[in-house]
Amino acid sequence: MSPSVKEELVKRSPLRILEKSISGGLGRGNIAVLASRKGVGKTACLVHIAVDKLLQGKSVIHVSYSSRVDHIINWYEDIFKEIAKAPRMASALEMYDELIRNRVIMNFKQEGARTEQVLRSLEAMIVHGQFAAETIIVDGLDFGQAGPEELRKFKDFAARLGLEVWFSASLRGEEPLFDARGIPLLLESHVGVIDVLISLLHHGDHVHFTLVKDHDRLAPHNLRLKLDPTTLLIAKDAAKAA
Amino acid sequence: MMSTELAKMRNIGISAHIDSGKTTLTERILFYCKKIHKIHEVKGKDGVGATMDSMDLERERGITIASATTNVLWGDHSINIIDTPGHVDFTIEVERSLRVLDSAVLVLCSVGGVQSQTITVDRQLRRYNVPFIAFINKLDRTGANLFKVRDQIAEKLGHNAVLLQIPIGLEEDFRGIVDLVSMKALYFDGPDGEIVRAEAIPAELEAEARAARESLVDAASMFSDELMEAALEGRATEAMIHAAVRRGAIARRLVPVLAGSAFRNKGIQPLLDAVVRYLPDPSEVENRAVDLNGDGVERVLVFDPSAKTVALAFKLEEGSYGQLTYIRIYQGSLRRGDELVNTRSGQKVKVGRLVRMHADTMEDIPGAVCGDIVALFGIDCASGDTFCSPGLNLAMTAIYVPDPVISLAITPVDNATADRVAKALNRFSKEDPTFRTYVDPESNQTIIQGMGELHLDIYIERMKREYRAEVETGMPQVAYREAIGQRVAFDYTHKKQTGGAGQFARVIGHFEPLAKGGYEFANEVRGGRIPREFISSCDKGFRAALRKGLLIGFPVTGVRAVLTDGQFHPVDSSDIAFQAAAQGAFRQAYAKSRPQILEPLMKVSIEGPSEFAGNVFATISQRRGVIVSSVEDGMFARVDAEVPLSEMFGYSSVLRSLTQGKAEFTMEFLKYGRVPGQIGELLIEQYAEKQRASAPK
Repeated sequence: MSPSVKEELVKRSPLRILEKSISGGLGRGNIAVLASRKGVGKTACLVHIAVDKLLQGKSVIHVSYSSRVDHIINWYEDIFKEIAKAPRMASALEMYDELIRNRVIMNFKQEGARTEQVLRSLEAMIVHGQFAAETIIVDGLDFGQAGPEELRKFKDFAARLGLEVWFSASLRGEEPLFDARGIPLLLESHVGVIDVLISLLHHGDHVHFTLVKDHDRLAPHNLRLKLDPTTLLIAKDAAKAA
Repeated sequence: MMSTELAKMRNIGISAHIDSGKTTLTERILFYCKKIHKIHEVKGKDGVGATMDSMDLERERGITIASATTNVLWGDHSINIIDTPGHVDFTIEVERSLRVLDSAVLVLCSVGGVQSQTITVDRQLRRYNVPFIAFINKLDRTGANLFKVRDQIAEKLGHNAVLLQIPIGLEEDFRGIVDLVSMKALYFDGPDGEIVRAEAIPAELEAEARAARESLVDAASMFSDELMEAALEGRATEAMIHAAVRRGAIARRLVPVLAGSAFRNKGIQPLLDAVVRYLPDPSEVENRAVDLNGDGVERVLVFDPSAKTVALAFKLEEGSYGQLTYIRIYQGSLRRGDELVNTRSGQKVKVGRLVRMHADTMEDIPGAVCGDIVALFGIDCASGDTFCSPGLNLAMTAIYVPDPVISLAITPVDNATADRVAKALNRFSKEDPTFRTYVDPESNQTIIQGMGELHLDIYIERMKREYRAEVETGMPQVAYREAIGQRVAFDYTHKKQTGGAGQFARVIGHFEPLAKGGYEFANEVRGGRIPREFISSCDKGFRAALRKGLLIGFPVTGVRAVLTDGQFHPVDSSDIAFQAAAQGAFRQAYAKSRPQILEPLMKVSIEGPSEFAGNVFATISQRRGVIVSSVEDGMFARVDAEVPLSEMFGYSSVLRSLTQGKAEFTMEFLKYGRVPGQIGELLIEQYAEKQRASAPK
């Protein structure tokens, strides 16, 4: 459980590559969106990002729409196990118990949950619950229903409370899903509010990451990352790196 | 009742979340089975209270505490019903009933749906593999939604929940139900709903009923090829559907969902029909017992009235008629005058009066057969004891009993009361294995222990009411534990020369933390450095030392003691000397082991309107709690958290005032966790002060 093990895990994480590519990280008050079709692995990515924050000693609120709490808890356990596997830590379990004390899961049923209500509850958790979150994960928000003005509310909230917020966006329907600039058609009207936009695409047996928007820069390029099909972890893409 | 065919016997429990209307439902069942002649409400305006709540206290609080068992006849079926308590503090009662019953009715509120206690009860049903029917109650309430609750049973509990009925009207307008098997609308007429009137399905519900029936037949077909074929050819009969649903239900692969409103007297008779139709008779349930003669081998019991008898005493009660022992017969039969052996104590007992219970009244019976639940008079035993015919030595698997987490010092107000207190405590601890009592040798005070604040409160009130024994109570005390933080070596010599025979013993070794808790002893002494006969003395000495930690005087858990070397003296070494050396070694090493204080952490679930979520979050963080999750479903919110028990005292009144009584919470023991440094230091200081105060001057 030594701090050095955590430091090591953080240092070696492929998420450092992602950070480097997005000018050092998302940053407080900013919003990132991971977009892909259903079942590609967005939730796994978000949980990987969350566990990485937890390892850095930061607090995370995981907001989900309609997914079951025990499923989310399992996701964290599985992803953590995969991450911790590498250095073979004997005390992994104890470390995990300590880490998840800094994670709260908030579940909202989509139909009933208006953005104002979600933000009110988030604020209650941070202020009244004295939960000093720095990162908010929002999994399963329906961007088809929640327009740019809804996302703007999240962004204002993030700026006011100094949070960084990671969303997933499910893309549906017929091809093409993206416009010429690589922006998902579903998110075309949102893109002004989004600071970092990443799309996930199946490519052979791997999932590849494309950085569509990096803060003020709109120039799609491939991140040297992939999603490992067995562990569902974000991993370095050796082929591209070579 | 001996003539009752076994196939027509049912042993059912009724389980539910608090306030789902379970007691009201039981009351209606008794009424329609003609066991009682008038309906009383739980918090009755008539001041009588529901019949199943036999204790005054339960009447007053409007909750059910002790499970009273009762027998009813529905048609030619004999049903034993155990009314189980809903509050988590009393889950030992629920667990015991589940061991004894063959099936259950899970009552859910049509507004609240699957609630925290429902999840606990569902887990228990799963653990004991108990088939059940779901009854969705309170369809007359504002916000009632049968389909939502059905979906929750499927999603939150993971069951194949299948509707057998749909409602006619809802809320204020709830009028009756459509039975999807017979495709009839059922209404409940008469002043107490006692007349069931079957009519054609109202036209506006026809399409919905047809669709729901189709899903029912589809689901049931999974358990019957005959039904599947017949359904394809459009000739599925009611009998085929019943048989298939029954098969699925008994295998726990289908949960029949029924609905109604017990309070409005609607839907109860069809529920009773479903109990006898779909739930198993005792011969369809396999029961096992541990053979005490052969290395704990499990034996399957034979369901045969002529076999040798095996019965389990699952509940003791001291009623106005003397001591009653509730037993379930698993094998053989029982007649007045039979001789049985209590396999725990080896004591022989003779069966005297044998009765069948109905809440507060009883009927004498000459005998009973396997599968039945009856009560005996004048048998001295503890709950959980197994009775067998002479020659058999079996024990029904012990029901898991958790350790108490809270204790309270009590002092009788005067000497005359002291006797009555002792009598009451003796009886309570026999009835309820999670309630314990002892006299603290240091303070000379009587201590009672249990599973929560409410648990102990109830017993204190019962002492007052039933025994006229009033006591003063101290502050509730949490059952802390101590633990060692790291491996630590010891080398201790015990030496005493006080004229006459001296004492000499030396022990060398180490203590190390044991993650799974408890205590382990390892002997690695080679070459007779400590004679064999003194090894066990060391073990005994360590055990004695661990009973009382040096930080705050609570038991030390999670220790592995390894003895590697030592020394003895041919004359001066003795059992006592090695015990003393072991204790000395622990005292020497403990401080260096970075010892820690552990406290019970509770799993707390709070449910209520979502507008209060912020207030609830605040109460958790003020109590050193960790919020695990919060779920909001429209207006309704549920917060799950882990909170130290020591911070939860008085929480119910805090929550009530914060939420205008609209939120409720349940809690149960989760695990032991480390007490944070500052609070630990405070506890140590308090303990030291107490020690100084009581030290001889």
